[in-house]
Amino acid sequence: MSDIILETRAVSKRFGAVQALSDVSFALRAGEVHGLAGENGAGKSTLIKILTGFYQPDEGEIILSGTAVRLDSPRAAQRQGISAVYQEINLIPERSVAENLFLGNEPRRFGVLIDRARMERSAAELLARYDLAIDPRARLGALGLGLQQMVSIARGVRLGARVAILDEPSSALTGTEVETLYRVVDRLKADGIAILFVSHRLSESYRLCDRLTVLRDGRVVASEAVADLPRAALIGAMLGRNAEAIHGNRPARTPREGVAAFEASGLRWRNRVRDVSFAVRPGEVVGLAGLLGSGRTETMKASFGAETKEGGAIRVGGSSVPSPTPGRSIAAGLAFLSEDRRAEGIFPKLSVAENLTATALPRIARFGFVSRRKQAAMVAEFTKVLGIKTAGPNAPITSLSGGNQQKVLLARCLATAPRAIMLDDPTRGIDVGAKAEVHEAINRLVEQGLGVLVTSSEMEELMALADRLIVLTEGAVTGATSTDGLEVQDVLDMLAQPHEAVAHP
Amino acid sequence: MSTGLMARTGHDSPMALLRAQSVYVAFAALIVIDLIFTPGFRNVFVIRNLLFEAAPVILVTLGQSLAIGTRGIDLSVGSTMGLAAAVMALALPGGSWLAVAAGVGAGLVVGMINGGLIAALDINPLISSLALLVAARGTAEALLDGSRVSLPTGGLFDALGIGAVWIVPTVAIIALAIAGLVAFLVRTTMFGRYVLFIGANKAAAMIAGIKVRRTLLLVYAASGVLAGLAGVFAAARLGASDPNYIGVNYELDAIAAAVIGGTPLSGGRISILGGVFGVLLLQVLGASFIMNDINFSYAQILKAVFIVGALYLQRAGG
Repeated sequence: MSDIILETRAVSKRFGAVQALSDVSFALRAGEVHGLAGENGAGKSTLIKILTGFYQPDEGEIILSGTAVRLDSPRAAQRQGISAVYQEINLIPERSVAENLFLGNEPRRFGVLIDRARMERSAAELLARYDLAIDPRARLGALGLGLQQMVSIARGVRLGARVAILDEPSSALTGTEVETLYRVVDRLKADGIAILFVSHRLSESYRLCDRLTVLRDGRVVASEAVADLPRAALIGAMLGRNAEAIHGNRPARTPREGVAAFEASGLRWRNRVRDVSFAVRPGEVVGLAGLLGSGRTETMKASFGAETKEGGAIRVGGSSVPSPTPGRSIAAGLAFLSEDRRAEGIFPKLSVAENLTATALPRIARFGFVSRRKQAAMVAEFTKVLGIKTAGPNAPITSLSGGNQQKVLLARCLATAPRAIMLDDPTRGIDVGAKAEVHEAINRLVEQGLGVLVTSSEMEELMALADRLIVLTEGAVTGATSTDGLEVQDVLDMLAQPHEAVAHP
Repeated sequence: MSTGLMARTGHDSPMALLRAQSVYVAFAALIVIDLIFTPGFRNVFVIRNLLFEAAPVILVTLGQSLAIGTRGIDLSVGSTMGLAAAVMALALPGGSWLAVAAGVGAGLVVGMINGGLIAALDINPLISSLALLVAARGTAEALLDGSRVSLPTGGLFDALGIGAVWIVPTVAIIALAIAGLVAFLVRTTMFGRYVLFIGANKAAAMIAGIKVRRTLLLVYAASGVLAGLAGVFAAARLGASDPNYIGVNYELDAIAAAVIGGTPLSGGRISILGGVFGVLLLQVLGASFIMNDINFSYAQILKAVFIVGALYLQRAGG
């Protein structure tokens, strides 16, 4: 193998109670495309932020071309030749491609005037080198997002990047743009640049990468040449048995017959949810099994009305919800817990009580006035039932641990006394103890007749919770199975079926 | 936190709490300094005059605080005051009560348009209220042909313009009563909670099924109504409807007062009592400059320095 350019040695990083990375060692070689794989919260973005100078590791070191370096700011990382391209472009869309390529060090005449002709000539050469048919004088914002990303890559290389980090570069690209990306990546390889490639699409990773490193729970669980890591093994590494196995087994349950607590039929949304149908009976937990990007979150959001579905029907407790919005879904008896606690869950600055009762305010208010007494009773009830550890109902929500914040959000969902609830990765990023408590709470509620649809980044967890699994691949249902007697490996095999097998409507 | 007007709903470290109280400390300090150094400050007429000036600013600050609480802003309040005064002048033939109602109604219309643009069309509040700042002022001037219309003396306009209970003007009593009402709404109603939810995390508020659009519409409509009433008060005090004068730059004082009082621009927290004291602080500060014969230009600069200083103290409050 060729020379190692960038290496991490035993890097660890902790945020409060969450160990985001433990003992991560991996090496990036010149001319290699190295894929980084892992589910939500596995530590990919933390690792990238450490490599690009946004975070400092708590322990361990970063070795760049044989010497230990400190990357104490994004600027420092860029100066050392590490260039990142994110999904969001950080260039100036109003200026031309050439201006963006040379931003900050334009060729000059007499020291003060920008030599526009020379700049555009050099820009054209640079673009031609990567086979990019882009007019250097075109306004950057007029190009598609994909081409903008290519310009961003070209700029990084021009500034002397030796390492290019492509963070989900293709998630917004069209088919031809993806081909262009592949070409650019091949050229970068030929130039001896090391590429760290993060993508949720397995086929893409296999097409582009020479080597794959898999993170799970902040640890490296596999790092192999692609030839030695078949699909099933990769998925197994991503989702497979957790080092901290889930405690407690799923109680034996018989879901109640009759009207479904919640059902969707023919659900469609933007090509990310393709004709998805399922039903959840009262007293039953149904797992949506799929990799990140399989449409599991989108299915939930389109069902709930957080995204506007483009087709299909939703019924809650037998009654149709014609055009769902979050408010209508909640009124019909459906609740939803988002996977993104910070962005779509908590109200920072507000108290535990205010956060917990947000959705259920009509239940504790009369004529629009919130009853302090009823609010206190509701908070006390759920604090006890879910075992929320807080200094008191008036404590700021941000003073709670992630696990307890999550319990407050779960309480917010349950406070409206729903018939069915959708939990999107409900234990993401919370500690083992809180995880077990959340599981217990879910099991108790199901016992009382609640219908639950759940996803998880951990296959073990999904198996422990769900009575039945619906397998999603690229937005379509590709299988359904009971979890009785099912092994984790069986599900991993179902997920690993190459997506050619999926019927695209 | 059980003080009547107090509508703090955030929760912070002791240091942040102290910082949130800074407006009261600054106000007390300024009063002490004025009592010692400023000639004539003890005169009760000074206090009465101050309260006359403060009443309309308090009203627009209330609406502003609601808008800022949702992480928005309302730049249109000053021009809305001007428009309300102009509409009131046009409605004078129908009697003073009808004229006042027409002025407040004009404020409601501006507020509904602003709220409609923000809630239904997702236009940034900064932009929509800036557009209305220009449009409302222009309409006010067009309605009165740019000239000043005197209000009749006696009756309702005197009650608003010069009426007082001892040293407390009637308009100040009304403004403070409305402040108490708004503080109560923020503290105890679902509407108040929704305002804070939207300001704290709009995406989470949507997912939680909260009526985000309706709440935003109500917030800006309320701000418009309060600005309309403020315009009526200001015109009554002046004894005339002057579309070029009434409410000019009031939006800036309202924003400064709200933020100094502990309603951060980042939303999710509203302090009505703090906002009222923010207004009083700015009014007393302005009066101090005048009474110490400080040149108006320098006074403006000093006021700016003071506001920046006060906001600096609040910086981590968001």
